[in-house]
Amino acid sequence: MRLVVTGPVGVGKTTFIRTISEIEIVDTDRRATDETAQVKEKTTVALDFGRLQFTPDMALHLYGTPGQSRFDFMWDILIRDVHAYIVLVAAHRPHEFRHARRMLTFMQQRSPAPLIIGMTHVDMPNAWESENLAIALGYVGKRTAPPIVNVNATDRDSVANALITLVTHFMTFQSNLMGTTL
Amino acid sequence: MAINVEKIAGILQNFVNSASDVQGAALVTPDGLPLASTLPSAMDEERVSAMSAAMLSLGERIGSELARGTIERLFVEGQQGYGVLTSCGEDAVFLVLASQRAKQGVLMLEIKRAISELKLALG
Repeated sequence: MRLVVTGPVGVGKTTFIRTISEIEIVDTDRRATDETAQVKEKTTVALDFGRLQFTPDMALHLYGTPGQSRFDFMWDILIRDVHAYIVLVAAHRPHEFRHARRMLTFMQQRSPAPLIIGMTHVDMPNAWESENLAIALGYVGKRTAPPIVNVNATDRDSVANALITLVTHFMTFQSNLMGTTL
Repeated sequence: MAINVEKIAGILQNFVNSASDVQGAALVTPDGLPLASTLPSAMDEERVSAMSAAMLSLGERIGSELARGTIERLFVEGQQGYGVLTSCGEDAVFLVLASQRAKQGVLMLEIKRAISELKLALG
């Protein structure tokens, strides 16, 4: 199963994959020289790749995207044929929500795949509540928000929980799809 | 010492004008930001820079993962021409676009020369 981990710069996409992958991850980190350098030293410029044997007959292939929009061609490549994806958002950096929303729109225009939102950095002061985050991401009125989970990208159990939610969400989505076509 | 951007831009301009069948060149940071470029007008500098960095990083990763050693260059051969990516020291990536008429040997040699000039300018 092909899963994509996306979201703005410095939310923990590479960490997320590194924490859970069984193989040594393929990363493409380069020293950051843009405004990213204030948040972290290195930044992903192409993709991250990790793998996890989820059940005996299901392997998860995890692809991480770069965060900056100048790499949107990588978003475009990675989101194709994806089964499901998780958008990570740092709960304590509200100024990034608009960027996250743009990424969401970008992905949704290119892929019908189901998604969930992972809130990272929820332990920080000024972290937003998930209800408010949903509103900030444009899920108001009739637009129901996708599942929102808290994720600590450095904690294996937390990442595993997020993946379980993502896979479950995918399966519900699939069975609903079957239901409507029958 | 501050990087002499004008000098770098001058080297690129000169390279594109004098090297045979070269259509464009760009010098970008390894994380995909433009330093200087002389590109065909239809191409967006930011996009080209990000793509160059992504491609070189993947290429280098393939080099180490698949035991090809240190990568000298990445070569994209299309029906309309070539795209050649070369690492230019630790702080820069050099992209050259050439038409399909370009002679590969000459092109490589010209790139090599341009790189030694650029490295000096980068300090």
